[in-house]
Amino acid sequence: MSLSLQKALTIAQREYLTTVRRKAFLFTLVGTPAIYAILMTLMIKPQMSERVHQMRNFRVLGVVDSSGAFADGEPEIRGAVATDLSIVGPQAKSEAYRIEVRMLPDQAAAERALRAHEISQLLVIPADYLGNGRLRRYATGTNIFSSVDERAVSGWLVRSLLRGRVDSLRIDRVARPARGMTLYTLNNDGVFEPHDERRELFDFLLPFAFGMLMGLSIIIGGQYLLQGVAEEKESRILESMLCTVNAEELLAGKLLGLGAAGLTIVTTWIALGAALGGPALAMAQVHVSPAMLGLAVLYFLLGYLFYGGIMTGIGAITNNMREAQQFSFLFTFMNFIPFYMMTSILGRPDSGLAVGLSMFPPMAPVTMVLRMNAPSAVIPAWQIALSLGLMAGTAWLALIGSARLFRIGLLMYGKTPTLPEILRWVRQS
Amino acid sequence: MLEVREVVKSYDGRAVVNRVSFEVQAGEIFALLGPNGAGKTTLIRMITDILKPDSGRITLEGKPVGGEARHLISYLPEERGLYRRVPVVDALAYYGRLRGLGARPARDEALALLDRVGLRDYALKQVQALSKGMQQKVQLCTALIGGPRLMILDEPFTGLDPLNVLLLEEVLRERRAAGVTVLLSTHQMNKVEEQCDRALMLNRGHMVLYGAVRDLKRQYADHALLLRASPLPARVPGVRGVEAVNGEQKLILDPDAQPRDVLKALIAQDVEIESFSHSAMPLEDIFIKVVREGLGLDHGQSGPPTMDPVPAPAGPGAAR
Repeated sequence: MSLSLQKALTIAQREYLTTVRRKAFLFTLVGTPAIYAILMTLMIKPQMSERVHQMRNFRVLGVVDSSGAFADGEPEIRGAVATDLSIVGPQAKSEAYRIEVRMLPDQAAAERALRAHEISQLLVIPADYLGNGRLRRYATGTNIFSSVDERAVSGWLVRSLLRGRVDSLRIDRVARPARGMTLYTLNNDGVFEPHDERRELFDFLLPFAFGMLMGLSIIIGGQYLLQGVAEEKESRILESMLCTVNAEELLAGKLLGLGAAGLTIVTTWIALGAALGGPALAMAQVHVSPAMLGLAVLYFLLGYLFYGGIMTGIGAITNNMREAQQFSFLFTFMNFIPFYMMTSILGRPDSGLAVGLSMFPPMAPVTMVLRMNAPSAVIPAWQIALSLGLMAGTAWLALIGSARLFRIGLLMYGKTPTLPEILRWVRQS
Repeated sequence: MLEVREVVKSYDGRAVVNRVSFEVQAGEIFALLGPNGAGKTTLIRMITDILKPDSGRITLEGKPVGGEARHLISYLPEERGLYRRVPVVDALAYYGRLRGLGARPARDEALALLDRVGLRDYALKQVQALSKGMQQKVQLCTALIGGPRLMILDEPFTGLDPLNVLLLEEVLRERRAAGVTVLLSTHQMNKVEEQCDRALMLNRGHMVLYGAVRDLKRQYADHALLLRASPLPARVPGVRGVEAVNGEQKLILDPDAQPRDVLKALIAQDVEIESFSHSAMPLEDIFIKVVREGLGLDHGQSGPPTMDPVPAPAGPGAAR
């Protein structure tokens, strides 16, 4: 394989500049995080507003007590509902609520009061409640996404059952017995450390974000390659190009230039995320070790070369962009399969499934990044070495195969080759 | 300049180029002819090192094609395209850079070429904004930029209006005067007669004609004369028949008759002669005759051509 670095760099420069100057690139760069932010706001904001709205409208709880266990029940329910999901500040903002508890003589009268909106909800406590725990709650409507009202009623039941029997401190403890419990877990250095709620959120978000960035950066670069090769083949540019540069130079230039375009997107997103989420990361004492970052970069490079090789091969053997997209779907999907198993991988990063997936090259980069960022994960060095070795080997094979397909497939038009034909091309080239 | 020796290329056991040997001299315009499927494109792809021959040897200025020699060749394929969403000058300068020019010289040469083909005002427009004919001229410029020593043009006249055909012919003459060699593949036989010094015709992968265009026409000329004269006597010695052809009279000669004897006889009979010439067969007719009747140098049996022979190969060629 003879390769002129200067020609490869000229091709890389052109591929990079023409890609990043396209409107579609700018749209991906800015539009994707903007759309994501808008979607998150649209999803979370109304949910929060609905919880607050629900508790603001919950003014009176009617109670029909046939058991007699609540004759001396609390006359009101007090509490607070969070008004935002901020993870940056020391405390989330909240709004206090107060619900009057009104005892009613019978269910018929209570239902009339509910229909007339004199009470907000109705709680019917049957005579045998203490025996079987069965209750009925009536409301004029319900919100399937919020159970904040149910938690308020439940708290009243606990407090009212114990009222006058134990002191108020014990009542508070029984109502929320584990509120002040701190969980200590082993960190990556093998030391037990307190596990606060915000940190818990980051324990999930950090591997997810890293894994997602890894998967996206590999696939974005790969998709640019697929698109570039398929378009050039479709528009018959390549034959005159291949007279001036050889297939290896063309392939190397494309891999470099379009990989850099993919990295530009991901780097911008990381910078944007760090600027917006930096204070939260600092507050939660989240730190990423240089070794972990180094390994992530290595996995990215190998993953990109592996998928880049495959996407180039697909672009070379197909006749147009639509066909190329259809063929590439399976491989794109494989890269993201570890996310479907994320609970299992993060929950047990040393399980057979997690180890197996991190040795399987199409899924190794994302799986390994998830494992490395999982809380309490200690990955044996031999697993990392073996996984990297397998990745390097298959990336090399993918590149060799794609260079061969590239050389022959670029000049083949018309019928899409069958698998035996593709294998014959790879052997003969 | 370009030397092709005993080149063979097969697909699925079928030779699409079979023991083809020829050479192209520096500064000549050389025609590569043949019906569809004759193996011309495969041969060109081997010359440009896009495909490797199964056996045989191809050299350019004494060096194997590919590697360093790649800089010396440009190729305008029949099925051609351009990057569409970039300015014309950038699309062109890119080819210059790939042929080893720096960024600035590539841009300067691109602008000069656009000026030469009358597209200077379109330099900053996107390629996709150009008409088909204009795009074709830009494609021609991609084959000119970077100073290639061998230009391979596959059907370069297709889609051009008569004025642009003239422009292309002018450009080819300029390049030829500058010592550039042109390998022209076309089905427009009149252009071959006008522009080309020598020609090679392939049929089903085999060489069927090879030599100077003038010699080929002479070789296939029928034993006849074209005469514009009046009145023509009833009988001319050495002439066994007369046919009217496009306002001229075609004199079919006896096998042993010589044109100069016929001319002498006409003068002796006081015939007023306006024009007198050999009746040469148009190249197109030679093409049809050779392809239909399977005539030529090599009917798939023999080795290298016998006409205008090239030196015998030094040894068995090997694919790189």
